[in-house]
Parts: sequence; C-alpha cells; structure tokens
Amino acid sequence: MIKKIREQINNGDLRRFRFWLQIFFFLLFVYGGYLSINLGQNIPTFACGFNSEGQGATCYLIPLQHQLARSPSSLFSMAGIAVLIGFSYFVLWFLVLNKGWCGYACPLGTIQDWITSLRSKMGIHYAKYSWEQFRHLKKIKYILLVLMIFIPMGIGAGFFSHDMTTPFCMICPGRTIIPMFTGDFSQLTIDFSSKTKMVMTTLGMLITGIFLAGAFFKKRFFCFFCPMSALHFMLSKLAFLKLKKDGSKCTKCGDCYTVCDMQIKEIADDVESKNILQDDCIMCFKCVSSCPEEGALKVEFLGQPVFEATVKGYIKRMEKENKNG
Amino acid sequence: MDSQKVESKQPFNLTHQAGEATRMLRSITDDFSDNPAAMNYFYDLYEKVYCEGMQLHEDKKIIGTMCVQVPDELIYAAGAVPVRLCNGFYTDDHNGADFMPAKSCSLVKATLGMLEAKSTLPFIDRIDDIVLPATCDQKRKSGAMITEMGYSVYDMEVPPVKESEEARIYWQRSVRKFAASLKTITGNKLNKTTLKIAMAQVAQAQKAYRKLYELRKVSPSVILGKDVFMVTNAYFFDKIENWTEAVNKLTKELEKRVEENFSAAQRRAPRLLFTGSPAIFPNLKLPMLIEESGGVIVGDETCSSNRMLYDMVSADEWHLDAMVDGIADNYLKPCTCPIFTKNDDRKRKLLQMAKEFSAEGVVYQAFSGCQVYSMEQASITKALNDEGIPVLFVESDYSPDDMGQLSTRIEAFIESLKAKRRRRKRK
Repeated sequence: MIKKIREQINNGDLRRFRFWLQIFFFLLFVYGGYLSINLGQNIPTFACGFNSEGQGATCYLIPLQHQLARSPSSLFSMAGIAVLIGFSYFVLWFLVLNKGWCGYACPLGTIQDWITSLRSKMGIHYAKYSWEQFRHLKKIKYILLVLMIFIPMGIGAGFFSHDMTTPFCMICPGRTIIPMFTGDFSQLTIDFSSKTKMVMTTLGMLITGIFLAGAFFKKRFFCFFCPMSALHFMLSKLAFLKLKKDGSKCTKCGDCYTVCDMQIKEIADDVESKNILQDDCIMCFKCVSSCPEEGALKVEFLGQPVFEATVKGYIKRMEKENKNG
Repeated sequence: MDSQKVESKQPFNLTHQAGEATRMLRSITDDFSDNPAAMNYFYDLYEKVYCEGMQLHEDKKIIGTMCVQVPDELIYAAGAVPVRLCNGFYTDDHNGADFMPAKSCSLVKATLGMLEAKSTLPFIDRIDDIVLPATCDQKRKSGAMITEMGYSVYDMEVPPVKESEEARIYWQRSVRKFAASLKTITGNKLNKTTLKIAMAQVAQAQKAYRKLYELRKVSPSVILGKDVFMVTNAYFFDKIENWTEAVNKLTKELEKRVEENFSAAQRRAPRLLFTGSPAIFPNLKLPMLIEESGGVIVGDETCSSNRMLYDMVSADEWHLDAMVDGIADNYLKPCTCPIFTKNDDRKRKLLQMAKEFSAEGVVYQAFSGCQVYSMEQASITKALNDEGIPVLFVESDYSPDDMGQLSTRIEAFIESLKAKRRRRKRK
C-alpha cells in the first residue's frame, strides 16, 4: 500500500503540484487576512506585512528588524528574551519546510515564477550568469543579512536615524509589489519627509524596477540576493525536509543542472555530499523530478523518503513535457 | 589501385567483408541455442546490410559520426541521419594498416580502411559529411587523412578536461557551432519544433534501451551479452524508429522469459561486466569467447553500447538554445571516455554497475594501440579489486591470431570466479 502511494508520488507531475501549491500559499499569505487568517509574525518567508489588509501572516524580517532596533540596554536584558522567543518561533516554522519556503511558499518567489512563465510563453530565452558572476553575486545575500542585523542595532544604539527603520523592507521589492495584489499602491511612492526616507524609498523603487526586469530575463532573479535565503541556509542542517543525493548513482548527466533555476552546479557535479542542499537552493525539487537515476536524488522528511528520482517517473514527466512544452 | 577497382566491382556479397560478416553472423546465431525470436530482426538487419548490401535511409542525407560525443538529436532535427562509422571489420583493419602507422588501434585503422576502400557499409558513398569530434589523438589526426580521401570532414572540438566550467562553456559553444553548421551540411536550419521531435525520437529509443538495461539485472540472465551488443551496435546505422520498435519487441519477449524463469546462459554462469574498447560487429571476438566459455555478460560500459544510449537529455524550457545547451551537457558530462583527464567517473560508473547487475567480475578490453584505455586500466582495476571484484585485462586487436591464447585466459578467469563463489559458499 505504502509502496503504491510512493510510486504514485514518484510518477507524479511535480510542476503541476508545485504550481497549485504555490497558488495556495500565495492566496494564504496575500489574501488570508480577508478570511481573518493570521499565522503570526514569525513566518520564514516574504508574507509581506506592508500588505496590511490581506496579509495572512507576517514575514519574520519585519519583527526582527524592529526588535533589533531597541536600545542596547533593553536588547541585552528582558527584551532580548522577546527577540529569542520570536526567533524560536521562526526556527520552528522554518524547520518544517526548510528552504521549501522559498520554492513553494514565498509569494515573491511565486511572482517571479509567474513572470518566468510569461517570458517563456513569449518565446524569449532566459539569461544565465557566468560562473564568475555567479560566484560573486551569491555573496550579496550574506552582506544584506549582516546589514539587516547591524543597521537596526545601530539605530538602537543611536548611530543611525530612526528613519532607517526596517532598512531591508525599504529596499525589498516585496514591500512595493505584494500590497499591489490587494489594490494597495501606496508603497510605490518616494517619501520626501526626510533625507533618509527619501534615499531609502528611492532605492526601494529602483530595486522594484530592477526586480521586475531581472525576473523577466533571469529565473528567480531576486533569490540570489535574498537575506532570508542566507538566514535559512544557516539553519538548514536542522530542518526536517532534506534534499539528499547518492553520488554513487549519479552519472553527472547534468539534467538536474539544466532545469535548476538557481544554476546550482553542485547538484550535478558533487558526488560526495549526501546532504546536497546549497545556499542558493530554493528546494523546488525540479532536480529530483528530472533525474533519471533511480534514487540518486531524494526528498526526505524526518528521514523518510517522500519523493525520489525514478526512471519511470522521469520518462513519464519528460514525455508529457515534450508534448506540451 | 587496380586490384581495388576490381574488388569494388565485385558483387557485394562476394567481398571479403561480406564473408567476414557472414561468418560472424553464423557463429552468433548458430553457436548458441535459444536465441530470442525478436533477435531475428537484428540478425536479418546485419545480414541484409553487411552481407547483401541493402541500402538504408534512401530519402535522407547521411552524416557519418566518428565518436559517441556527436549529438544525434541535432542531426535528426536537421532532417539527416547519423551513422556511426566506428568499424569492427578485420578486413578493413588490414586495409587501413597499408597506410596507417603500425601501432594505431584496430578501430581507427578499420574505420579509415573502410573509408579509403569505400567498402563494407553499402551506403558509404552516400555520406554527405563526416563529423569528427577531436577525442583521442588517433581519431583527431584521422581528420586530415579522411579529408585527403575526398570526404568532407567537420572537426568538432572537444575539451580534454570535462570537470571545469571553462570546458563546459567551450563544449557548449562547440555544439552550438555544430548545430548552426548543420544548415550548410543539410540545407535545413534547426528549429524548436524539429529539435523537439528529434529529442522525443531519441528519448523513445533510450527508453526502450533502458528497459533492456533493467532486464539484464535479472538473475538468471534472460539474454546473452553478444545479442545485446548486436542490438546496440545496430543503433549505429539502423532507422531509429525501426530500431526502437524492434527493441521494444525484444524486451517484451524477455519479460516473458523472466516470468518463465528462463535462463539464457547456464544458471550458474558467472555474471560479468564488459568495459573498455568497444566491441563492434563483427569484432565480437571477446564477448563471444566469454559466453562460449560459460560466462555471461550482463552489462557493459563501452561507447558502442551503454555509454551511447544510457544518459537521457531533459529540458527546462523548450527554446532552441536551451535545448541545444542541455543536449551539449548530456553528451559531455556523463561521458566516461578515457580521453578525459580524470578516471573517477568511470570508476564510479563501473562500481555502481557491478552492484546493480550483481556482477562477479569485469572483463576489460583495450585495443593494442589504444593508449588511454591501457593507461586507465591499473587505476580502474584497483578500484574494482578494492571492492572485491576481479578484473581480467585483455589487450587485443581485430586479428583472429590471439583467439587460442585469449580463450585460455578467459576460461581460467571464469573458472577462478566459479571457484571464488564456491569458497564463499563454504564460508
């Protein structure tokens, strides 16, 4: 019985499954508020809090930046506990899906995937980074993460103006774009009330433009720079959902790399690591679904295989895609 | 020169090559009992092509390919047919020896011998272009010789290292350039639709092959290795749809054999993997000796067979450039040809195959003169021995002279495997 269900899943159409699950999460996070859904404010994905009416949950980066902006004396006393509690909730949510939050739940990620399919339907070829570009660009998310932690702390300590509050949100394209889905275009403005606000909101608008153009030509353009992704990766070893590779079964055929939105070379080339998750991975599992080697790539939840590469499943999906694509 | 002219005027079925093909075919069909009925398609095909001179692909342009790295999908998409020219005829090896260095490998000598004499393949004079990937030294330098024979040769650049990003980009460019040049060769420009159809066509063939591959894991074996070599070797020149259909018929018959618990070899025949220099018809000397001595070849790791058909291409988006790049990756990265610098991929592949096919030993063929296979041998042998898998290294060529010596060695190897199994049982 279990074997049969497993076979069904392994033969399944991951793209379709993912397409609908992404819509589900999008509705939940962007419109859930209208149904009084509130999953709290420690969600490890861009469930944008600036989408004040529709939000079904709040992205953890908002409370984090707020909490860190308290004065050092309170931050390192009782208020510090509040930060830790918030972080623990964030970790608990995160542990369930690991970076699957990016590939399946993130509304900003989903929007990028929609832009990608629009581009693909228009018959325009996607852009790729060269390996050199890729190596440099992938560092940016760590820089943003560090800034996102230290700038709020600097505000608390009085080094920066309070107008800098939630600095990452100010430049995050989620803030400008996600509220638009509930008819709120108010974030698409430049705030002239102070110099700092003006600079930050201008930067935000600029990045929104870059985001839209970038996502059109490059699959998951923003995810390479996402500090949430960097934060995820630091905790990913603890998570329940895992992407595993059995290098002895890998022929390095590169099919997984061909379909990878994030250009992760290791997925095809690394035959040593068992836990193959890389920092840029969004856990979309397209690699698993396009792997023709029995059990070479595997999705596990708490050590149990939930989806794994099979020849049969591969051929089934490939034939279907060749017909439809 | 005169003698050659006389020879070329000979009826096809009276040439030395036809005689050689006939002898081998008889041996393949008659020395063994219980050949699968579905194999008749392949036996007939060889008979018609190599013994009777039947034409194939009459309505299509033919592009000769000299190595496994040439992407078939691209050639099919351009409306032409790829025919692998790597040749296994001793007669042609002999012809080639007239103008090739003495220490060249039999395969290269035979292929050039065939091209020079315009022999063996009945449609050899209809070849429009020969694509020659710059793989080993001998193949690479053959290009100039083949050009001087009057053929049009396309040199396809191949990186000598395949792990680096530079190599990947270089190869992708090389494949894109080849894809573009197919327009000059065939008159047809590649497009998304034809390439998609071609990819599906090759994928269907690979799907059929994969089924055959899986069926060889069954113990006792339902098919002999010599027959599988005949099947995969036919992919060199057969019409791809016919080939796929015939393989599907064969696998259906083999599935029945599995149900009936049928054994194609002796039930206790040691299960062997074949690796190294490719066994190409009619040079099936070594596989035949192995199976006549009581072993059974359950898997192979050669460019005439598994390496050519195993790895399948996938695409993320069906745009021409994306498909071509995906195809390029697939023809380079998993390739275990010893011309590349590292031995690791081939080691890993063989170890994994030994496990999957419950192989008890490996026979490693290196053609005399094939420097790279010989150089890899020690390292591969050690990796396999470390896992308790014995390896028989055989240096050979196309001449029948070493048959006696070889059969003694092979029999001894198979006996030693049997003895090993008995010892293990006693424990």
